[in-house]
Amino acid sequence: MRAANEVDFWRGFALVTIFLNHIPGLTFERVTFHNAALSDSAELFVFLAGWAMRLLVQGSASKLSPAALVVRLGGRALSLYAAQAVLTELAIAMLAACSILLDAPFLLDWHNASAVFLDPIRAHIGLVTLTYQLGYFNILPLYVVLTFMAPGIALIFRYAPYLLLPLSLAAYFAVLITGFNLPTWPVEGTWFFNPFAWQILYVLGFLFAGRDGLGGWARRNRKLLRMLALPVAIIGVPFALLDYAPDPISLPEPKLLFMFDKTYLSPVPLLSSLALVALFGGLFPRIMQHVQSLARFFAMLGRNSLNVFCIGSLLSLGGQIFRFAFGGRVATDAILVILGIGIMGWVAWVSEWRNQLQARRGEAAVSLPASASSAG
Amino acid sequence: MALAQTQEPAPPPLSPACDVPASDLSSPVPMPNVSARLQQMKPLRILAIGSSSDLAYGAPSGIKSYPMRIESLLETSLKGSDIDVINRGLPGEVASTSAERIKSEVVTEMPDLVLWQVGMNDALSRVDPNEFEQTVRSTIGWLRDNHIDVALVGMQYVPRFAKDAAYYEIHDRIRRIAEDTGILYVRRYDAMRFIAKTRANQPLMMSDQFHLNDLGYQCMAEYVARAVIASVYLRKFRPAGK
Repeated sequence: MRAANEVDFWRGFALVTIFLNHIPGLTFERVTFHNAALSDSAELFVFLAGWAMRLLVQGSASKLSPAALVVRLGGRALSLYAAQAVLTELAIAMLAACSILLDAPFLLDWHNASAVFLDPIRAHIGLVTLTYQLGYFNILPLYVVLTFMAPGIALIFRYAPYLLLPLSLAAYFAVLITGFNLPTWPVEGTWFFNPFAWQILYVLGFLFAGRDGLGGWARRNRKLLRMLALPVAIIGVPFALLDYAPDPISLPEPKLLFMFDKTYLSPVPLLSSLALVALFGGLFPRIMQHVQSLARFFAMLGRNSLNVFCIGSLLSLGGQIFRFAFGGRVATDAILVILGIGIMGWVAWVSEWRNQLQARRGEAAVSLPASASSAG
Repeated sequence: MALAQTQEPAPPPLSPACDVPASDLSSPVPMPNVSARLQQMKPLRILAIGSSSDLAYGAPSGIKSYPMRIESLLETSLKGSDIDVINRGLPGEVASTSAERIKSEVVTEMPDLVLWQVGMNDALSRVDPNEFEQTVRSTIGWLRDNHIDVALVGMQYVPRFAKDAAYYEIHDRIRRIAEDTGILYVRRYDAMRFIAKTRANQPLMMSDQFHLNDLGYQCMAEYVARAVIASVYLRKFRPAGK
């Protein structure tokens, strides 16, 4: 188990925020940072995913051959894909079970789930091809696609590092200019998070994580970046508080460039998320100094981000059903939040315990032949 | 006015099974953008968005989604007009998520009219009515700033929630928002309640008493199509609903 660090801490923070943001109407949802910023925890989560990928590529995977690197990263993507499939099935089963227990057929509609029950043949094809996604469960499909892009990103970075950012920017602006997005099916529509736009944040996280190149430049110019980030973040506050969005009618083409669009991650929310990273990145030692237990708790969540993300998504859904059944009072909302974050922490703790047991088994397996040979 | 000089289409008659008093349906309001498009014989793009019932796929019994039906009803009534209904309904969605998607869809699809089916899931998720109202009002304001007409398609009448205070509160807020902003409001709740009270042997819902059946979708599409056409063509004969 690695010691608490900044990336894990902010990942844990993003996971808790995503849990709160995905319970519509929750009292405590109003205190999350997206109410005062033009970006939210989804951006932070994707940026840190790119950052974590760089640590993997430069760390344990740095000596791998290109083929082994592709297999390693591809395997990671497959694990995420499997998690997405299991998570979606669990959510569907939760809705189905609660609709029976509470005699509430409308629960079968929640989160866009009704296609599974009303059109199961096509819905099941859509589930495995990711063209059918449950609402509020659409960050993981984005993450799956990004991790499938990861081998390509890692190979470009290894053999032509200076091409990575231009290629990523080119894809990003091409999508903003053309409005291209992946379709959903069988429920007609498009992806809530356009992966070809959001890849820019993943790649930027990857690049900023390095100590050379863009990451090195950012570290050398941290003060300047913070000075630039401060007004960007401050200007965003009133816009977010007022729920302001530009009027496309008055904007020149391509309009997506100037909108505050989440699906396409328009430049404004992109800059907002980068400004928040510049402002708050580096605060971890101080947080650790003043509220150590909180810092360690968030870092523990972040270290086990996939498991915690999955349970957090199910808890959000559970919270929504709980609010339907028991109402949305502040007291019940408080119980819900304490219980939810507590369970997320428990899942992280169990995950680490399991990892430790696996590590011990691994050590025992290694030491057994050694001791056997020394005895012989 | 060109509309008055040309042969004006009559609003599509409601089929006998869906027939309700006009007072339980909608009051015509100005729809300047839709009227202008039709006057200029330009294609009309309608974005249908919102929560449940906007199913875009054929259900096992071959049920057609209500936006598909609206498109054919409008094309039948407005002969010669090119009408395109873009279906972006997502079952189980709350207003705040729809509001976010509306902004994206407006930029990419450039609709002339947004049909927003709203309220049901906010009521069931116990979203604070003030928060709900603020979301809906600000989105309507934003759409109008962009010269896009809006019609709110109200919640459905579900006997189980007839006495649910939170459900009725959201229903009431939608009505008030529509009155204050002067936009078209299709009073689906009142229409469905009328049918439930007067024609109990003619269900609009499946056996689960929640999901619409084939007739339920048909009536919903007829109500919306009639309300839109009445607003565009009959306003000069009737006072705006206030």
